[in-house]
Amino acid sequence: MKEIRIRFKKIGRAKYISHLDLTRTMIRAVRRAGIPVWYTEGFNRHPYVTFAAPLSLGFEGLNECMDTRLVEDMPMEEMVTRLNSVLPEGIEVIKASDPVMKPGDIAFAQYRLSFLKGKFKGIEGNIREFLARDSILVEKKTKKGDSKKIDLMPLLEKAAIETGDSAVMLEVTLPCSSTETVNPGLISAALNDFLTEKYGGENTLFCDITRRDLLNAEGLPFE
Amino acid sequence: MSYTLEDLFRLVQKPGRYTGGEMNSVVKDKEKVNIRFAFCFPDLYEVGMSHLGMKILYGLYNEVPDIWCERVFMPDTDMEELMRQNGIKLFGLESRDSIDTFDFIGFTMQYELSYTAALNMLDLAGLPLRSLERDSSHPIVIAGGPCVSNPEPIADFFDLFVLGEGEEVSLELFELYRRHKAAGFDRDKFLTEAAKIEGVYVPSLYEISYKDDGTIASVTPVNGAPAKVRKRIIEDLDRVYYPDRFVVPFIDIVHDRGMSEIFRGCVRGCRFCQAGFIYRPVREKSPEVIDAQSRALCENTGYEEFSLSSLSTSDYSQLETLLPRLLDWAEKQKTNISLPSLRVDGFSEELAARLNILRRSGLTFAPEAGTQRLRDAINKNLTEDEILSTARKAFSAGWTSVKLYFMSGLPTETMEDIEGIANLSQKIVDSFYKNPDKPKGKGVNVSVSVSCFVPKPFTPFQWEPQDTMEMLQEKQKHLRDSVKTKKISLKWHDAATSFLEGVFARGDRRLCAVLEEAFKRGCKRDAWGEHFNLQTWIDVMNDLGVDPAFYANRRREYDEILPWDHLDFGVSKKFLIRENQLAHQSRTTPNCRQSCSGCGAAVWKKGVCVE
Ligand code: SF4
Repeated sequence: MKEIRIRFKKIGRAKYISHLDLTRTMIRAVRRAGIPVWYTEGFNRHPYVTFAAPLSLGFEGLNECMDTRLVEDMPMEEMVTRLNSVLPEGIEVIKASDPVMKPGDIAFAQYRLSFLKGKFKGIEGNIREFLARDSILVEKKTKKGDSKKIDLMPLLEKAAIETGDSAVMLEVTLPCSSTETVNPGLISAALNDFLTEKYGGENTLFCDITRRDLLNAEGLPFE
Repeated sequence: MSYTLEDLFRLVQKPGRYTGGEMNSVVKDKEKVNIRFAFCFPDLYEVGMSHLGMKILYGLYNEVPDIWCERVFMPDTDMEELMRQNGIKLFGLESRDSIDTFDFIGFTMQYELSYTAALNMLDLAGLPLRSLERDSSHPIVIAGGPCVSNPEPIADFFDLFVLGEGEEVSLELFELYRRHKAAGFDRDKFLTEAAKIEGVYVPSLYEISYKDDGTIASVTPVNGAPAKVRKRIIEDLDRVYYPDRFVVPFIDIVHDRGMSEIFRGCVRGCRFCQAGFIYRPVREKSPEVIDAQSRALCENTGYEEFSLSSLSTSDYSQLETLLPRLLDWAEKQKTNISLPSLRVDGFSEELAARLNILRRSGLTFAPEAGTQRLRDAINKNLTEDEILSTARKAFSAGWTSVKLYFMSGLPTETMEDIEGIANLSQKIVDSFYKNPDKPKGKGVNVSVSVSCFVPKPFTPFQWEPQDTMEMLQEKQKHLRDSVKTKKISLKWHDAATSFLEGVFARGDRRLCAVLEEAFKRGCKRDAWGEHFNLQTWIDVMNDLGVDPAFYANRRREYDEILPWDHLDFGVSKKFLIRENQLAHQSRTTPNCRQSCSGCGAAVWKKGVCVE
C-alpha cells in the first residue's frame, strides 16, 4: 500500500460544497476515475480518502489537500489526468505526490479576503480604519460548544492590504491546526460590526475568502 | 441593499440545492439551442433529485442538440423569502437564467399535495398562474406524471398535459414546436395542433357542463380535439433511451444511488393501487440490457450502490438470470445492489448469500389489510402463512425486528379488519417467542405503520367514498385499544392530509379556484408536514362554496360521468366495474401471468398481454 497526497483547487461553483459533501464527491470521483485505491473494511466499503484541514463552506481553496492509499501502482500524472476528466466544475487536481510532511504538521493557513469595491463606498479607508484600532475582540466558538472572547489584532499585525481594480484584498495568515484554528470569517464579521456601529443600519458586506495555502509551524508550505 | 443570486448562496441553508454544477449536469451554449426546457419538480431538491422519471427525461432531452433541459426545484422557505425580497425570479440550476424566458416549463406531478407548490413556482417565475392569462410571449406550461391521470383540478393552470410515458410524445411535441416557432409562434394554433398528437391533452379545448346535483353533465371537445385522449406507452423497453449517467448531487438526497429500471407496469392488480392500473401493460427489459445499462451508470456516476427499480421487483420474470450477472461485476467494483421489498424466500441459498439478503436493513411486509377477507377484497395476494413462515426464517437467522405496512379506510373495511391488524402483529410476536432458534437474550419489535386509503381514478375503487377523518380517527383508536403488547409499536399517518389528497385526487375543474385561493392565503408546501394547514383549506372551500365531502366522501354511481372519463389509460370502465363488484364479494382476480382478465390494456398488443 502506498500513501498518496493529492493537491487540488476548489473554486467557483464548487465553493458551496460542504466538507462532508466534498468527501462523498471525491469518493465517487475516485471510483469514476478507476484509481486503484484502498477500500475501508466493513459492510459499507468505500475508497479511503482523508482531508488534512477541512475548508469552510463558501470558501475557495487554491491548494487543498487530500490523502489516499493505492493498492496498485499508477503513475502520478495519470492519476491527475484521470481525476480531472471526472471532477465537477470548480474542483481541479493540481498534483499527486508522495507525502513529505504529516497532516499534523499543518500549523497555519494563508487566506485572502477580498471585498468588492462596488458594494460599499470607501471600503478601503474603512478597512484601514478598522485595522488601526487597538484591539478587535470577537466571540469564538470553542470545541466544547461554548464561546470565548479573543482579540484578532495580534493576528492582523502582519496583514497586508492590496488594492486591485475591482476589489480590496486583505492577506492574512491564521492558525490552522488541530489545537488552534481561527476562521477568517471572524474578520469579515468583525468588519461588518464595525461598519454597522459607524454607519448604523444593516451592512452585510460580503467578502470572498480564499485559502491560498497551508503552512507548517516554520511557515513553510505544507507538502 | 439588494442582493444578487450569488449573494443569496451565502445566506441560505444548504446552498448546494441551488448552485448547480454537479457532475454530469449539462451546460450548453444558449445561443446554439432552439428549445429551452425548465424541468420543474414541485418539491425540494433532495426529493426531486431522487426521482427516476426526471433523470430519464433530463438525459433524453439533452441528447437532442438543439434542446437544453435544466432542472428547477422548489426553494426552501429561506431561499424563497430572499428571492422575493431581492426580485430574483425562479431560475434553472444549469444556466441560472430565469425560467420565464424559456420555451417550455414542464412539471412532473407525483402527488396531489404538490399542486400548490407548482403554483408557487409559476409565481416565483413571475408568470401568470392561469393558462388563459398567458400569451404567445410566455413559455408553454406543461405537466406529466401519475397525477395527470386526473388533471382536472389543475386544468386551468396548464396549457397541456402529457398522458402516460413521455419519451416519444414529448419529442413529437418539440418537433411540432420547432415548426411553429419557425413560422412565427402563435400559442393557440400550437395548442390546437398539439391536441392532435396522441397522448397530449389540451384542457382548454374541452368544455365541461354540470348538472344541478353538481355532477358532470357533459364534456365537449372543441376545435377538433379528440373526444378521448389516450395515454402513450413505450412499446419496446429494450430500445427506449435510458440515461448512461445521472447528475451526481453534492448534498445528501433521499435516494442517492444509481437506479436501473427493469420493467414498467405491474402484473398484480391490487385494487387500491393506481400505479398497478395506469402503467399497464407490464413490459420488461431483457437482462442483457439491464446489465449493460446498470454497469454504464455505475461507471459514469461512481455510485457505490444501485437499485433495481420497478413497481414490484420480485415479479421480474428473469430475476434469477439477472442477479448473478449483475453481481459478477458489482462484487468486483465493490458496488452494492439494493433490492427493495424482495421476498426473503424464493432465492437459492447461494444467491441469497451473495446478495447478503439477511444482512439487509429490514424485514418488511405490506399486507395492507388485517384479515384475509379484506386482503381478498383489495386483491392483495399475500397470506398470513407466507408472512409467518418468512418471519420465522428471518428470526432463525437472527432478526429481531419486522416492519408491517397497512392501510385503513379500505372499502368494505369493518372494525373486525382493524382488529385483524393487531392480531396479525401479535402472531408475529408470538412466533418469535415460540421459535427455538430465536436470537438469544433479545426481544422482538414489530412496527406497524398505517396509512389512510385514498380512492384514486382508474382503479376499481374510483367510485368508493373515502372514510371521513372522524371514521379514520375512530378506527385508529380501536387499533390502539386492540394492541396488547409494547412489542408492537404503532405509527398512524395523518388523516387530514389524506383527506385533502382525496378531495383533489377525484376532483374536477371547479377546484382550480380553490387551489388558487389557498395558494394566495399561503398554502405552498402542503406535502411538507410542518407547513400543512388544514384549516386554511377548509376556510377557502367554505368561502368559495365548495363541499369537500362531495369529492372525497361520496359514493359515485357506475353511470356517473367522472371528471377523467375523457382520458384513456388503457383499462376499460367495464373491467373496473367488474373488479369493483368482485371486491364487494371479497373475490380475487388472478394476476396477468396466471391469466388475462381482459382489462383493456391489450389494445397495445405488447408485454405481458401477448406473452
Ligand atoms: S389485458 Fe390482460 S394481460 Fe394485459 S394488462 Fe390487462 S389483464 Fe393483464
